[in-house]
Amino acid sequence: MPELLEVKNLSVSFFTPAGEVQAVRNVSFSLKAGEVLALVGESGCGKSALCRSIMKLLPGTARIKSGSILANGADITHYGERDMKKLRGRLFAMVLQDPMTALNPTMTVGAQIAEAVRVHRPRISRAALRDRTAELMELVGIDRPRERMERYPHQFSGGMRQRAVLAAALAGDPAILFADEPTTALDVTVQAQILDLFRDLQRRLGTAAVFVTHDLGVVARVADRVAVMYAGKIVETGTVEEVFYDPRHPYTWGLLRALPALAGGRDSLYAIPGMPPTLVNPPKGDAFACRNEYALAIDYEEEPPMFPVTDTHSAATWLLDPRAPKIAPPAGGGAVGR
Amino acid sequence: MKLGSWAVRTGKKLLALLFSLLALATAVFYISRLAPGDPLVAYYGQRAERLTPDQRAQAEERLGLNDPIWVQYARWWENALQGDFGISYKYKMDAAEVIASRAGNTLVLGGAGFALIFVLAPLLGALCAWREGGPLDRVLCRLGAAVSCIPEFWLSLVAILVFSAALGWLPSSGAYSVGGGGLGDRIAHLILPLGVVVAGHLWYYAYMVRSRVLEEARADYVLLAKAKGLGRGRVLLRHCLRCALPSYLSLMAVSVPHILGGTYVVEMVFSYPGLGTLAYESARYQDYNLLMLLCILSGGVVMCSGMAAQWISGRLDPRVRARDGEGAEP
Repeated sequence: MPELLEVKNLSVSFFTPAGEVQAVRNVSFSLKAGEVLALVGESGCGKSALCRSIMKLLPGTARIKSGSILANGADITHYGERDMKKLRGRLFAMVLQDPMTALNPTMTVGAQIAEAVRVHRPRISRAALRDRTAELMELVGIDRPRERMERYPHQFSGGMRQRAVLAAALAGDPAILFADEPTTALDVTVQAQILDLFRDLQRRLGTAAVFVTHDLGVVARVADRVAVMYAGKIVETGTVEEVFYDPRHPYTWGLLRALPALAGGRDSLYAIPGMPPTLVNPPKGDAFACRNEYALAIDYEEEPPMFPVTDTHSAATWLLDPRAPKIAPPAGGGAVGR
Repeated sequence: MKLGSWAVRTGKKLLALLFSLLALATAVFYISRLAPGDPLVAYYGQRAERLTPDQRAQAEERLGLNDPIWVQYARWWENALQGDFGISYKYKMDAAEVIASRAGNTLVLGGAGFALIFVLAPLLGALCAWREGGPLDRVLCRLGAAVSCIPEFWLSLVAILVFSAALGWLPSSGAYSVGGGGLGDRIAHLILPLGVVVAGHLWYYAYMVRSRVLEEARADYVLLAKAKGLGRGRVLLRHCLRCALPSYLSLMAVSVPHILGGTYVVEMVFSYPGLGTLAYESARYQDYNLLMLLCILSGGVVMCSGMAAQWISGRLDPRVRARDGEGAEP
C-alpha cells in the first residue's frame, strides 16, 4: 500500500532580519491512509512550521531549502500556489489552536463552513449548500444546525467554535487533517469531548491525521504513532506503545518524567533543565546534548543518525550505538504502567 | 436594547452636539469681530474709503456694528433663533439665500469627489494588498505618498497650467461658461477640480485600506480560509476586506470634513462658485453674517459626520452589536 504522505529530508528555514531560522531540519516521516501521527515537542520546536510547510501556508519569509514532499506518490515539493489551491481542503485540511481567532468574526459560522463546501463544488445550489452545511455541523456534534448557522462566532463557546472549524475542515472530505494543537486553548472537560469527537470522526471517515501537540496525554488518547520533535528535528519515532513503554531518546525520557500523572506522588514535578536552543544557529552535534544528563562526548561533536530499534521504532541518540554504555532509563522515563 | 437607554444616549449626544455648536458660534463671532479689517468695505466696496466720518457712523449704526460685541452677539442669536441670519454685506441679500445659491455647486464637487474616493480607495487598497511587495504595489505606494504630500492649491495650479494653459483641453475656472452651457459644459468645468480633490485624498484612504487588509491577512482565520482551498484574492476580498470595512466606513464618515476642506481650497484656485470661495471671501472682507452661517454649517457637518462614524462602526461589527444586548449562547 503506497504511503499517503511521505516527507523526505525536509528542511525549512525562515529568513528573518535576525538571520536564518532553521525551523525544520532534515525531517522525514510518512503517513498511511487512516493513520494518526502525533507530533510532540516543546513550543518552537518546529511542529507547526512542519505542518504549514507541507500545506505551503508559510509566510513569504520561509522557504523549503531541501527535501521532498510526496502526496499519493506525486512530488508536490515545488507545487505553486495554483496547484496547491486544488489540494488544500481536498487532500489536506487544517484545524488551528485557537478557535477564537480561527473564524472570521464578521461572518456567520454557517457562511464560513458553506464557503469551504463551495470551493470544491462551485455549482452547488443554494438549498443543497445549506443541507450540506447543516449535515457537516451535525457531523461534528453541533445540534440545531439550521438555527446555529446564522450565528456569529462570538455567540459560540470555545468548544463549539472548534467544532465549527472542524466542520469547515471536513467539508472537502480531506484525506489528511493537520490538527495544530486543536485542544490547547480549550477547557479540560471540553478538551476531552473534542478529542473523543476527533478520534470518532477520524475512524468513521477514515481520515489520516497529523496531530500536533505538546500534551502527552492527548497523544495516548488519539494517536497510532508518535514523532517526538526537538529543535526542528524528529528525535524519536514509533508506535504509541513503543514510545510510551520503551522510549529510547533521553529527551523522550524527560518528557515522560515531566508528566504529572507519572510523577508518582512526588512533591515537585520533574523538569528538563535548561532551555531549547535557538534555531538561528543550532549547536553543533546533538542539539539536546547540553540539557542531557546522559550526554556522551560524541554528542557535542557529531549529530546522531536515526538508530532503528524495531521496524517501526527508531531514535536519534548515540546511546543506541553498539559502542555506547548501557544506560537504564530513569524511573518514570520509560516504565509507564510497568 | 431598551428604548429608554437609547433615548438617554441619543439625548446626551444631541446635547453635546448643541454645546459644541454654541462654542463654535461664540468663538467665530468674537474672533471675526476682533480681527482687523473694515466690514464697510464689503458693503460699500471702494466707496467705503471716501465716506465721511458722519456717514461711516451712520452706516455702522444701521448695520449694528457700533454696539459692544456681546450686545451684537446677543442680537445675532435673537434673530438667528427666529430664522434670520442677517444679510451678507457684500451681496446685500439674506446670508442663507446666498449660501443656498452656492451650496449646490459645492455639493456636486464635494459629493462627486467623496463618492469617487469612497469607491476607488478600497479597490486601490485591495489591489495593493493583493500585490503586496510587488512592483505594482511599490509604485502605487510611492506615487501615492508623493501625490498626497503635494498641497492641493499647488496641484490645482499645475493642473491648470498643464491641461488649460498648455494643452487647452479643459477650462481653467468657473463652474460653467459665461452665458451658461449644457451638461457637457458643466462636466468639462468639473473635471479638473474634481481630479485634484480625488487625487489629493484618494491615496491616504487607499493606504489605510491596504494596511488594514494586510493586518487582517495575518489573522488565523485567513490562514484557515486558505487551508480550506480558497485563493488568495478571494480570501482578501471576502475575508480581509470585509473585516476592514467597518473601520473603513467610519473612517470615511470622519473624512467628510477633510474632503470638504480640500474642496474649499480647490474651489478657491479654480474660482469655482461654491461655498469654499464664499467662505474665503466672507473671511477676507469681514462679511460677518455670511461667515458665521458658513462656519456653523461646516461645523455641523464635521460634528454630524463624527457621530455618523460612531454609529456606523457600532452597527456594522457584529461584536459591537452584541454588546448592546444579544447574548452569547453557551
